[in-house]
Amino acid sequence: MLLSAQNISKAFGSFLAVRGADLAVAEGEIIGLIGPNGAGKSTFFNCLAGDTLPTTGSVVFDDIDVTRASAEVHARAGIGRTFQVPATFEDMTVLENVMVGAFLRHHHRGAARETALRIVEMTGLTRQSAQRARSLGTPGRKRLEIARVLATGPRLMLLDEALAGLTPTELQQAIALVRRIHELGITLVIVEHIMEVIMTLAQRVLVFNQGHVIAQGKPRDVVANEAVIEAYLGRGHRRRRRETP
Amino acid sequence: MKWSLPALAALLLFYPFILTGPFYWDIGVAFLLAAISASAWNIVGGYAGQVSVGHSMFFGVGAYTPLLFYHLWGLPPVAGVPAGMLVSLVLAVAIGMPTFRLQGHYFSMATIAVAELIRIFVGTWDLVGAAIGLQGPAVGRAWWDLTFRSELPYYYIFLAVLAVVLYTTFEVERSRFGYYLRAIKAGERAARSLGVPVRATKLKALMLSAVFTSVAGSLYSIKTGFIDPESGFGILVSVQMVIVAALGGAGTLFGPLIGALLLVPLQTATNTWFGGGGSGLTYILYGGIIVLLARYEPGGMHEWWQRVAPRLMRRSHAA
Repeated sequence: MLLSAQNISKAFGSFLAVRGADLAVAEGEIIGLIGPNGAGKSTFFNCLAGDTLPTTGSVVFDDIDVTRASAEVHARAGIGRTFQVPATFEDMTVLENVMVGAFLRHHHRGAARETALRIVEMTGLTRQSAQRARSLGTPGRKRLEIARVLATGPRLMLLDEALAGLTPTELQQAIALVRRIHELGITLVIVEHIMEVIMTLAQRVLVFNQGHVIAQGKPRDVVANEAVIEAYLGRGHRRRRRETP
Repeated sequence: MKWSLPALAALLLFYPFILTGPFYWDIGVAFLLAAISASAWNIVGGYAGQVSVGHSMFFGVGAYTPLLFYHLWGLPPVAGVPAGMLVSLVLAVAIGMPTFRLQGHYFSMATIAVAELIRIFVGTWDLVGAAIGLQGPAVGRAWWDLTFRSELPYYYIFLAVLAVVLYTTFEVERSRFGYYLRAIKAGERAARSLGVPVRATKLKALMLSAVFTSVAGSLYSIKTGFIDPESGFGILVSVQMVIVAALGGAGTLFGPLIGALLLVPLQTATNTWFGGGGSGLTYILYGGIIVLLARYEPGGMHEWWQRVAPRLMRRSHAA
């Protein structure tokens, strides 16, 4: 397994955001994490990325225990992540943003710039490369976040709602980009609310509700799962469905 | 724009011959000292966004050490400059390790507290002259005492140091270290997620900044031949560095230079117009600049110019 997270729990005071969640990711997989708002997906994600220290459990990446390691160490190990709310470096240009990522593997400016230019082109940001990040709209920022992470040379990418808020055309372009990233041999874990993305891209889906995994499997099986439908629509849905002629 | 850098260099180089006389040379030296100090502060405060309001601790250390070397062992004050740099470096590590756990205003407040503690301590420490301070050689024993009658040699010594500080900043700006500093300023969490060693980078920036600030302090005390706790470690010393950099444009190479170019003549003018009674005006001037910058131009004059220049160019082309 490339990544193995076992029995991950995260408590904020008396509130348990994640309760004993497990995740095993094989190299080359695309895994989707779905669940209603407040289900604990992002907190779980933060635990995987080294952004939040889990209260219990362990995270092993490529046979190395990274549970207590910082986000910086995770990045060095090959785990890259995007943020739910894009956290681009606003006063830096698009190219400079990507170069910050590229500097992880390239110490010299020339080599980092070369890598960044290649990735900017791949992610369709060439035209905006000299613009400041603050001038980009939401789709551009999300693309830039992906580009920046790609520049770090990750083996595993954690995308936190990286495709949310896009128009249908932009969504199709973004899906194509994720496919290209996967073709590069990068493993992906995607948190997403847009079912089209999950159904199109994910090979396996985990469903979170109230801090724990309530179902997992192939996308088609998961969306038909009663527990999943109940988590999204509430207990009353079965009664309402029966009452509907 | 292509000629702006050589033009600026030529202007600084020939300034003493354009505006002659001790009065203008004195303003020139004060401008260079303000530019050196603010450029040094700019590395950590401007590029990394770690707004230290306690940089007087490094300035003071740099200012005291040369005169202490003279006072204790009769050595030329310049011999104390490397020692001041070393002490500042150690102080930067000691201060940076715990305070870089803090962010934003808390970091600024911590730096003020440490600088004030050092000022109070130095003011009661007999070895360094307590509240009275220290004096350098009244008359130079040889050239290496660097006590000149004219301001001119100081002008060129200060100009050489400014060139070194600016060149170092230029190299930092282009390097991985510089990119990391700007990323940290924009967002520590995102920077960390891209593998940026945030605390180590901030600490390195503080060390570099402290060394240059210490040199600025040494230049000040060697030139004036006197230092006391207020002129070395006083909060006004720190505030001036912050304001000069912010006025010109913090986090830009020439921002501190522009800030010093505006502030120093303004200070001299207020002091000249109001004579001895105008000394308190410095505080009012600083306060006014802070309010105006925060309200109208947080990016400083550099950013303002970058916004205005293209419009002016377009207008001149259209005409």
